[in-house]
Amino acid sequence: MSNALPAPAAPASATAKAPTRPRKRGGARRTDNLMGYLFIAPWLVAFLAFTLIPIVASFVLAFTNYDVLNPSWSWVGLQNFERMFTRDPRYIKSLQATFFYAFTAIPLRLAFALAVAMLLNTHRRGVSTYRAAYYAPSIVGGSVAVAVMWREIFGADGLINAILGTDITWLGNPNTAIWTLIVLAVWQFGSPMLIFLAGLKQIPREFYEAAAIDGAHGGQQFWHITLPLLTPIIFFNLVMQLISGFMVFTQAFIITGGAPLDTTLFYALYLYQRAFVSLQMGYASAMAWVLLAIVAVMTALVFRSSSYWVFYGSQEEN
Amino acid sequence: MRNRMSGFAVLFLVMALVLSACAPAAAPAAAPVAEGESTEAVAAEGGDGATSELRVAWWGSQNRHDRTIAAIELFEQLHPEIKVVYEFSGWDDHWTKMTTQAAGGNLPDVMQQDYARLEEWVSRGLLMPLDAYVADGTLNFDNVSESALAGGIIDGQLYGVNLGTNSMVIVIDADKLAEAGLEAPRPDWTFAEFEALATQLHENLGIYGFTGGLSNEQLWKNLYLSLGEWVYNEDGSALGYEDDQPLLDYLGMVKRMQDAGIIPTRETEVAEQGSSVEDNDIVSGDAAMTYVWSNQLVALSAAAGEGRNFLLVPMPRPEGGASTNYLKPSMFFSITSQAKNPDAAAMFIDFFTNDIEANKILMAERGVPISSAVRDALQPELDVAQQQIFNYIAEIESSVSPIPPPDAAGHANVINNVYWPLVMDPFFYGQQSLEDTVRILREQANAVLAESAGQ
Repeated sequence: MSNALPAPAAPASATAKAPTRPRKRGGARRTDNLMGYLFIAPWLVAFLAFTLIPIVASFVLAFTNYDVLNPSWSWVGLQNFERMFTRDPRYIKSLQATFFYAFTAIPLRLAFALAVAMLLNTHRRGVSTYRAAYYAPSIVGGSVAVAVMWREIFGADGLINAILGTDITWLGNPNTAIWTLIVLAVWQFGSPMLIFLAGLKQIPREFYEAAAIDGAHGGQQFWHITLPLLTPIIFFNLVMQLISGFMVFTQAFIITGGAPLDTTLFYALYLYQRAFVSLQMGYASAMAWVLLAIVAVMTALVFRSSSYWVFYGSQEEN
Repeated sequence: MRNRMSGFAVLFLVMALVLSACAPAAAPAAAPVAEGESTEAVAAEGGDGATSELRVAWWGSQNRHDRTIAAIELFEQLHPEIKVVYEFSGWDDHWTKMTTQAAGGNLPDVMQQDYARLEEWVSRGLLMPLDAYVADGTLNFDNVSESALAGGIIDGQLYGVNLGTNSMVIVIDADKLAEAGLEAPRPDWTFAEFEALATQLHENLGIYGFTGGLSNEQLWKNLYLSLGEWVYNEDGSALGYEDDQPLLDYLGMVKRMQDAGIIPTRETEVAEQGSSVEDNDIVSGDAAMTYVWSNQLVALSAAAGEGRNFLLVPMPRPEGGASTNYLKPSMFFSITSQAKNPDAAAMFIDFFTNDIEANKILMAERGVPISSAVRDALQPELDVAQQQIFNYIAEIESSVSPIPPPDAAGHANVINNVYWPLVMDPFFYGQQSLEDTVRILREQANAVLAESAGQ
């Protein structure tokens, strides 16, 4: 993911520098270029083999009924897309589950991350230990091991039932199953928390001192100083979380498998099932491109809305 | 300026994040996903001086891997000219890997096959008929009954050699039965008797009378097999039975038992999905009966521990029906059409089938061996559970229903996208009436099957 970032920057800087570069003889220059390409070759080869070619292939497959085993696949035009929205009740359920998850887990996670960040934004002794401790879940939280542990915690004889003294089938009940995944997502608040923490440190102390002199209490300070000055950070976190939220897979794959009643059948999980269980690669590829469109639209909407609620300090100076 | 920047930023972010995460999943043709993850491709030791290489792939548990590898080492000692390269994994990974290899034209020589998939693989020309090897004696079936081979025959040709025979079995905790003061059922008991026994066990003991997925598709298939029909029609383009009433009666009974607390609810089943035989409620004494495939009794008994007594009874049948049991080849070895060394592959399969020493290593882990000579040789070495299995298979052999045809091409699609999500789960979660459930199964399954058969 991150190694894709330098790509567009590289040609831009190359063209910018070209006129100022001292002329060399053709041969030496060619050698220079060759060396350059050799240096980026490992990245380039991997990018072509594992990113670009699969992307192109999946785009082509989206218009076929390719199913891996059958050599005689054929073009089906837009049939895969038409089926998704008209003849596949599970697809609609997967959209519902994904949107529900995105619109609950992400705000909750961000709120929780902000709350913890504010608690840790002090100068008490040992605060860095706490920061490390609270960041840890987001390192391990996406792992298979934690997902397996989560299954056990919410199992019939699990920790939660033992503590509450209840006998609830958390993972079998359509009303509770998705919430176990949302709680897991909220628990992985580490990376937005760190970013919030950095943002909080940027807010000048003088603002709070001035507000305190004017008699503003804690809640007012938060509402009128912290929150407005933090909106660019919230915006950044929201976009990043939104994109990853729509692609949630591992947790549902291991903890619930999409059950019960497809209430946790997240988009990426259903896509995986169609591709690798039913082997309908064409259909799954079409689903992947629709997911791209959905995420692009959602992200664009957030960017559009940002002019109404994101506050950049520099705007006032202009 | 900021607006244009943000436009680019959106596009770039989304492309970078979404596509890099999704692309490998969406385009397996170019991404060797399965290689090297949970799989191992290992060249066995002792291959020095080997002139030809034989690739073998199977799925299974650790126990099976250890036994199979030991048998392979024995094979290499007997045939020093052949070096066996093997790949093993769990069920899901096995099929992901095999389909990827099939697409890449790189299948192993010998692959473990499953009855449900055999026909599909044959219809796509991925497996090789073995009749020539049977005719020239490379594959020796002198001690094998015809019925044991029948499952591997498609359109009159043999495509898979049965590695062991299995059948479904009701396991009853004999001590619980005695405690409740009840009699063991007759071998040809009906569903009505089954329901009565489970109810009484539940009422007398306060535990589940029975545990196990009664809504599982296998029981749907068995039901119609017992009535002399099959769930799919001949070309797999639609359901094969006309009368929904037996299914209606059966599902009604299962729901009744769930609602009365005699068996675990579907909700409980879902919450515990993916748990293994060892987690069965009968092991912990929380249920008096269950069903398993006969080979699973070994694991069940081992988990239950010493001092437990289990009774094996055939599966119950509908009123007036024949047996709901049949003898299932637990799995096959097939030679793929992409095999580079088919002659060695045939020798290897023969070794697996007939070699006494090899089978003493394998110890019927894949099911009751098909060769009578091998069965006789193993008999004295079997533990109690295995002896029960051998006896059970021998007892039911004469009365079972004939093996049903392999599943239709659209079977996996029907089960994953219709049977569970649209039919069984909504019904058992109380969101759908019984009549609607049976109607939806017919409508939706027929649509999926027609499409799969039309390709």
